[in-house]
Amino acid sequence: MSILIGPMKLHLNGHKELTSHSDVKNIEAGKLVYIPLMACTDILVKTGDYVKQGRLVAKRNDYFIVPIFSSVSGTVKGIEEKEHSTGRRIEHLVIENDGKYEFERPFEPLDAVKATREELITFMMNAGIVGCGGAGFPTYIKYRDAKDVHTLLINAVECEPYITADYKIINDQLDDLVYGVSTMLKMSEAKEAIIAIKKTKKDLIGKVNKALEGQSNIRVQEVPDQYPMGWERTLVYEIFKKRYNKLPGEVGVIVNNATTAIAFAEALKSGKPILEKICTFSGEGLNHPTNVKVPVGVTVKEIVEQIGGYAAEEVIVVGGGPMMGRAQTNDEVVITTSSNAIIIVKPEPVDTIACLRCGRCNDHCPAGLLPVRINNAEAVGDVKLLQKLRADQCIECGMCTYVCPSKIEVTESVRRGKALLKASTLK
Amino acid sequence: MNFITKVSPNNRDKDHSTVEIMNELSVGLLAIFAFSMVFYYEEYGFSYVLHGFGLIATAIATAVVTEAIYAAVMKKDITFHIKNSFPIVTAIILTLTVQISTSYFAIGVAAFFAIFIGKLVFGGFGHNIFNPAGVGRMVIFSTLAGSTAADVITSATPITSMANAGWMIKDAAVTEKFLEQFGGLSNLFLGWYPGAIGETSKLLILVVCLYLAYRKVLDWKVPVVYIGSVFIFTTVVALTNGVGMWYPMFHILSGGLIFGAVFMATDPVTNPTTISGRIIFSIGLAILTVLIRLKSNLPGGVVYAILIMNMVSPLLDKLTDGWSIYSVKKHTIAICTTFALGLIITFFAGSTLEPKAVVLEGGAEEIEITLGSPVKIFSDDTANLPEVLEKTEDGSIITFKMSASGYNAIEHDGKPNTVEVKLNTETKTVESVLVTEAVDTPNLGENVKAKSFVDQFNGIAFTDTEATVDTVSGATISSKAVAKAVRVAIEELNK
Repeated sequence: MSILIGPMKLHLNGHKELTSHSDVKNIEAGKLVYIPLMACTDILVKTGDYVKQGRLVAKRNDYFIVPIFSSVSGTVKGIEEKEHSTGRRIEHLVIENDGKYEFERPFEPLDAVKATREELITFMMNAGIVGCGGAGFPTYIKYRDAKDVHTLLINAVECEPYITADYKIINDQLDDLVYGVSTMLKMSEAKEAIIAIKKTKKDLIGKVNKALEGQSNIRVQEVPDQYPMGWERTLVYEIFKKRYNKLPGEVGVIVNNATTAIAFAEALKSGKPILEKICTFSGEGLNHPTNVKVPVGVTVKEIVEQIGGYAAEEVIVVGGGPMMGRAQTNDEVVITTSSNAIIIVKPEPVDTIACLRCGRCNDHCPAGLLPVRINNAEAVGDVKLLQKLRADQCIECGMCTYVCPSKIEVTESVRRGKALLKASTLK
Repeated sequence: MNFITKVSPNNRDKDHSTVEIMNELSVGLLAIFAFSMVFYYEEYGFSYVLHGFGLIATAIATAVVTEAIYAAVMKKDITFHIKNSFPIVTAIILTLTVQISTSYFAIGVAAFFAIFIGKLVFGGFGHNIFNPAGVGRMVIFSTLAGSTAADVITSATPITSMANAGWMIKDAAVTEKFLEQFGGLSNLFLGWYPGAIGETSKLLILVVCLYLAYRKVLDWKVPVVYIGSVFIFTTVVALTNGVGMWYPMFHILSGGLIFGAVFMATDPVTNPTTISGRIIFSIGLAILTVLIRLKSNLPGGVVYAILIMNMVSPLLDKLTDGWSIYSVKKHTIAICTTFALGLIITFFAGSTLEPKAVVLEGGAEEIEITLGSPVKIFSDDTANLPEVLEKTEDGSIITFKMSASGYNAIEHDGKPNTVEVKLNTETKTVESVLVTEAVDTPNLGENVKAKSFVDQFNGIAFTDTEATVDTVSGATISSKAVAKAVRVAIEELNK
């Protein structure tokens, strides 16, 4: 932030009260669950196989290693192509749920205090721990490549409106949070761990501080209630006043989501991978917004039916938060290991008018880009200018569309500019 | 169930839409208009207020009709087009930039030009290069300055008086008097004096500005940098010329500077889109405003400065293109360079200022006259000698109010003219001469009130017995009467 760039962030109406006070509702998996096989190279079961809950069913084995586990027990029905929350059609492993939830440990628990750093990293890899902030990046990579890290930054900001899943999980699993964070701290070889929480969540800060008593190298840092405070770069800049080129490791920081630390702690303690997720189901499009605990692979349709249905005939089903989440073409998409919210809103048509060149998008872009200029460059297909304007740096956070007073889909146009730039550099 | 898909984000700021921004801006502008109307009602009467409302109504009506015709011709939805093209904002701003004496005809033409040439020919709202209201104002400046309503007359505005004084008054006593005729700097700030309709209360404009900046309707950096830079630049001019801080204060409080800075320079459409660009834009405005004021024939420079800088906006956008977080240094250098350039330019413009004689309120009128043969001031002509009506002293300045019989009085038993002769006892020279009541033959004898005639007396030494002034052609007798009045006044002083 500088007076010459603008605030690069903005307070949004969080709508968090819709779900933050109610209990997490347990969702039963239906007859069929669909385990997404995103980028999987090895499929380890055949049609007709009986699998227990926790069984390793597939694996991604290229530059990343990501194991996939069955979230229910039952019979493998085959592989079906289906829309994924990213909007792409990918293969899903269909398992017929027998409703018994017979569990088998895919790996043994590990005592984090005795284990070496290498053992922990291998464990993390085999446990399939992926970033729970939404992107689903394999977490072990960060620790494997860690060098000269001074701080482990635990992201408990949850800056997207409506979402309260992280808040709920941390509230319920404070011990797991502390256990996970201290283990990750050991793996990162950093001096200190900082847990970043929005300053408006006073109750949570109090609880975490209490749980941290006796932990001299883990502390809570309050951050402003602004969007996108939970984005790695914004958060690192807010706390360390430093910018980096590609990864936060360049400035000696590893950033991990608080729920990732909790999932990791669960795996360490009980030998259980991520089989179910706590997800926020919120928005004006639902009769009863709430947080749900749901096995991976359950469709949105089943969940919405169990929590009281849609509040309107026409809705937008957003996979993720309303800012960055993608609108799904139907409610057949399933909960994945990295899902944290499904937001269902009513469509609000707007009159788009001419850009008045107010520059509000420029002042608020968290990446420090000039969306209005990128828009203009994209409109005339000026790739050279798009390069100069660094359209490739856009993270599609949605801020520019959000602030636009003329109601233009700025983000979409920047997205096109980014794609155009990418296409021309690939040539 | 119907699932709608649209591109992300599925969340919008519900508080700030362009329509709301323009509505809030209009309310702010109307508050200023209302204040102005109260002033004209109190000082000049209800007919002025009627004329003011007539002006704003004419401007709005012309603007809306122009937009409607355009929309009809272009086969657009007329209501939707007008709602999203904001002609009313332009019309209000235009009205606030003109004098109350402007005729309905002039404001109508200006409003048409503002909307059509200023905006629609470029492709409508959002595509215009120039500030539309600025275009309209320029039309009045350049072609319709003489089109005024006959019965709406106000006294000289501070900025015109200052321009006539050559934008520099060095004498402290004269300065005080000069400022006093407008009620001092504090009254310039409060705005109880005539000017363009929106130029009156600086205080009110700043209050509205604060609110609109808080509501994020306008970017506060533009007025702050613009007004601040004018203040700094003119402080340098003041220091160079050895005058006090009243000088920069006068610059920012007079004319349309604060109004233009708040309502016209902040127009987002014609501004650069980056903060750095807007700051350079604002410094550029300050440089041009000071330069136009000090060095051109125009009294105020704000509208022209804005129109010129509007042309530079696209260039500034190009200059600031890039990845902002890594261009802060480059932008800082660009801003500092522009500012330094401004300091140098205004320093040179200010160091070559030539003060002209100050004409105080009710000063000599600018009339086109031809000067004829010279006449000696210290003649020994004793016919129809002027009489001293009143003598007042104010420090070194002695004012004689004289009754001087001109052609009409001598030949046709008319009333004598009244002449005010100011003598400076310190420098022993004539300070100024003013024909306060010219009741002579219309277009002939009465022309002795012309500034170019009476200004000839300024600075003539009491001892300069050979001093002459050129008579007004066609008014030789009346001219001689004024010269005699000066002579009698000096004789009276020497008694």
